[in-house]
Amino acid sequence: MISNALWQTIENSSFSSAIASSEWMFPTIETLHVVAIVTVIGAIAMMDMRLLGLSSNRTVRAVAHDTLPVTWIAFGLAVVTGLLLFVSKATSYMVNPYFLWKFGLMALAGLNMAVFHRHVSKGMDDWGTPGHAIPINAKLAGALSLALWAVIPFCGRVIGFTLGVYYTA
Amino acid sequence: MDWLFHLTELLRGTPLVEFSLRVSDWPFALWLQSHFYAIPVFQTLHILAISVLFASTLMLSLRVLGISGQDQSMAVALTRHRRWIWSALVALVASGIVLLISEPVRNMINAIFWIKIGMLLVAIVFSLAFQRSIARRTATWDVSIDEHAALRAGAVAIVVLWCAVMAGGRWIAYAPV
Repeated sequence: MISNALWQTIENSSFSSAIASSEWMFPTIETLHVVAIVTVIGAIAMMDMRLLGLSSNRTVRAVAHDTLPVTWIAFGLAVVTGLLLFVSKATSYMVNPYFLWKFGLMALAGLNMAVFHRHVSKGMDDWGTPGHAIPINAKLAGALSLALWAVIPFCGRVIGFTLGVYYTA
Repeated sequence: MDWLFHLTELLRGTPLVEFSLRVSDWPFALWLQSHFYAIPVFQTLHILAISVLFASTLMLSLRVLGISGQDQSMAVALTRHRRWIWSALVALVASGIVLLISEPVRNMINAIFWIKIGMLLVAIVFSLAFQRSIARRTATWDVSIDEHAALRAGAVAIVVLWCAVMAGGRWIAYAPV
């Protein structure tokens, strides 16, 4: 990558080495990361399925109101734990294509969410009530989000199988 | 951590050894082992299944605790989440069985795997009991909000239980053997 020295410095810091060399720290942080990401995906999927018209006996606004705080709190935990995991093996992660894909897809998912809240959600109080037809754009946003959040944990899992497979030239 | 070693040692003396070795020779097990993406794909399905189950459980618990979902009656919230919880459990167990077949010895001769299965059974029975006691009270739920101390404790306990099951899942890979 562009600044391999930076990742090297991060990885070699005493803080990172403490995580890497400890027998229990990495798995413990990983466990918290799993619980966080599972919560994020589940809460987002709940909203996506409502947008797709499944379990639609509730307003979209109510579903968003319930799932957004859960999503953001869990996402915060996922970011903090993810950073701790990252610094312990920064160089191996930065050359891993699945790691880079994971972040590209997460950026897309974030963009999709931003576009939904800024544009697609307009008029939500009309079309988002039970019994009303959901506009195609909202359905697409839901489907795209579901697909992205299914591939993101897949990349995450494959990282675990491919660490040490890729090296910097 | 000594007791974990002892437990694994105990497992080594059971017919599980021969059984798990036999499962490793099944054509499906060999197929899973020889295709690089097979195991991560089923692990992902397993993660997606627990995501649906856990988020639905969490939302039901938050409704019981009065933290969110207040726009819907307790009866509606229960029917909504219950369906997803139990359908996701089917997908969770199905993908879990595939993962078990993919690495039979690593799982079956592993103390943490059996602790996880134990916690899973507790979580399932507890979920059933929890949902039943909510169902019994739905008619009067929103009238007498403060009389559900035990159910509120249950709402927290069930979330903690599923976290413990997930932790067990993650630690299978780090079992001391």
